[in-house]
Amino acid sequence: MTVRYSRLDQRRQAVAFGFVSPTLLVITLILVYPILQSIVLSFGDSSIDGSEPWRFVGLKHYATLAQDSRFWNSLWVTLTFTALSIPLELILGIALAVLMNEHFRGKGLARLAVLFPWALPTALNTLMWRWMYNTDYGLFNAVALQSGLADRPINWLGDETLAMMSMVIVSVWKTSSFMALIILAGLQSIPRELYEAGRMDGMSRWQEFREITLPLLRGPIMVALIVRSMDALRTFELPFNLTDGGPVTATESLSLYAYKVIFDFIDFNFGASIVVVQFLVIFAMSLLYIVTLQKKD
Amino acid sequence: MKLKSLALATAAAMIAVPAIAEDLVLSIGSRGYGPAVERNLARYAEANPDINIEWNKVSDVPGETRKLYVTGLTAKSPTPDVYALDVIWAGEFAQRGWLEPLNGLLSDETIATFNPSLLSASTVDGEVHALPLYADGIHFFYRTDLLEKYGLDVPQTWEEVLAASEVIADGEKNPQFYGFVSMWAKIEGLFMNWLAFVNGNGGGMFDADGNLAVNQPANIEATQFMVDLLNEHRAAPDSILNMKPDDARTLFQQGRAAFLMVQDFVYAPLSADDSPVADKFDFTRVPYFEGHADANSTTMGGWFLGINPNSENKETAAKFLEFFTAYDQQLAAAIDDNRAPTIPAVYENPDMAGAEVLAKFGSNYDFGVVRPSAETGSKYPKVSEIMQLEITNALHQQKTVEEALNDAQTQIEAVLAE
Repeated sequence: MTVRYSRLDQRRQAVAFGFVSPTLLVITLILVYPILQSIVLSFGDSSIDGSEPWRFVGLKHYATLAQDSRFWNSLWVTLTFTALSIPLELILGIALAVLMNEHFRGKGLARLAVLFPWALPTALNTLMWRWMYNTDYGLFNAVALQSGLADRPINWLGDETLAMMSMVIVSVWKTSSFMALIILAGLQSIPRELYEAGRMDGMSRWQEFREITLPLLRGPIMVALIVRSMDALRTFELPFNLTDGGPVTATESLSLYAYKVIFDFIDFNFGASIVVVQFLVIFAMSLLYIVTLQKKD
Repeated sequence: MKLKSLALATAAAMIAVPAIAEDLVLSIGSRGYGPAVERNLARYAEANPDINIEWNKVSDVPGETRKLYVTGLTAKSPTPDVYALDVIWAGEFAQRGWLEPLNGLLSDETIATFNPSLLSASTVDGEVHALPLYADGIHFFYRTDLLEKYGLDVPQTWEEVLAASEVIADGEKNPQFYGFVSMWAKIEGLFMNWLAFVNGNGGGMFDADGNLAVNQPANIEATQFMVDLLNEHRAAPDSILNMKPDDARTLFQQGRAAFLMVQDFVYAPLSADDSPVADKFDFTRVPYFEGHADANSTTMGGWFLGINPNSENKETAAKFLEFFTAYDQQLAAAIDDNRAPTIPAVYENPDMAGAEVLAKFGSNYDFGVVRPSAETGSKYPKVSEIMQLEITNALHQQKTVEEALNDAQTQIEAVLAE
């Protein structure tokens, strides 16, 4: 199908393009250039100070990557973290949004309180949680020991399963409110009349939620899911500050592994190949979401 | 427009780094060299009132500081002008061109006053790239009052440490009291710990012929002891696997552990007036395994000062470096702060007779062992990372000790062959 544009439309488009172009330029500079640079780096060998020029080595780094158990582990960690935290955040986010949409005294204060964790920088949040998890001085163990729930300190961040669980909890605590914010905006755009009509038909609150609210929230939910999944797939500050990827490599995300390869081993080329794979994973995930979203429309 | 002028001002502030010729930035932690840094800076300011030194207090956890340096040096940042670096990086940083050669900037007489074996760590292609500031090692700290309470002798061997830990922990009956604490998080300090254990059993990174032998029987035995100490005998807390030096020190200082194994610097906070254990602790050399009394089990470290090749004030930086590491400053740091001098002549000074703690550190250094940074050069960070990871795998019982050390051996062989 072809679309014909009138001359007026064409002129409008030119004007629109003129307005968008500065932004496009900036995006190209700060987004597209580094992506291309990473791809170029990943296909070659070079020294960081430029003393040895870039040299094409084909798929050498990707071949190493395929054999690298630490890479596969970090990919698995990243996917597990995403798969565990996103659904929890979504459920909690919807619940919070529905609550905040009700009329009650102190609603403004409640909204502020819910947004607070999200407004704080992740690094700061994480350090706070790390203290609460601390085996010897932390809040959780103090409570667990004094109440008799545990007879010796629990090593929250030193056990493979507990460490992952701890990381998911911090993430859910922090970003559920972000989900809630987007979904709340969606909730407020649902016309009141639909609920009135529903009530006349004798719908229960639960039916209202399932038949009216949820279907009309599909758009905002998708947006929230895409943004949060992309975020979770490149999580860095959280494991970096909470566990440094430990114990062993149980919480080492792709970003954290790439960072270690680049800055600890000073291997920019191999590090770039990890980054490129990560980019592809995120890209594929976004495509998947967008395709599902469009199909349903 | 307000916004525009604000934006311009911000941009100007970012570009116009104040280019006063006589300003230097020094990067060094606040713990390692302790109060000596402040004293040296005060003395320098007195002698050079027209030069401003900005002290950039970096982390005392080496891995964290290293990341900071790597970022700045890769980007050819002109600051810091002078920076402190771990002995294990000296060779690598020199090779990467991240340290200004000092032979042209300082006189040969000045350089010749330093301990030649320390200097060799930063010598690449016949040129000295950084001056040693102080040396340190790990020691075994213990609670004198607890040993007395349970009628125990100061443990010399690991077998005795284990037995004593069990007696004390049984007696104290406190789930939050531990026998042995140290820095077993996945950090450089863990590798230092491991070297202390395996060398104390007659093992080491290399065999008698100098071949890489991470998985030699003596190492497997000593590593198994570490695993059992933690997982079977529970003489150490689970949290030891998250502990950095100061975490372990804090527990010991609060009276929650009988034994502590970390570097020299903890002596100052432990003996401070407000320390609950100030008059209840002492230290001895790192234990060894039965039958290895002459083993070199004190893992050594040390810090250097070097000049950033991109510094805009290299001449001034060199003079500052010379002042900071000079005889008088080292003497004061030795007597007041127990920091081991790197100029051998300082030890000859009659005032050194009063520095008893330092003398005791020194007799532990006689059993010193260094990390394999000279043998592995710029590959050292990878080697250390592999060791940290595989030792952690063993301690967490993700792999058997034998598997972990075999894997380490294979991986390090591959790295060294690259």
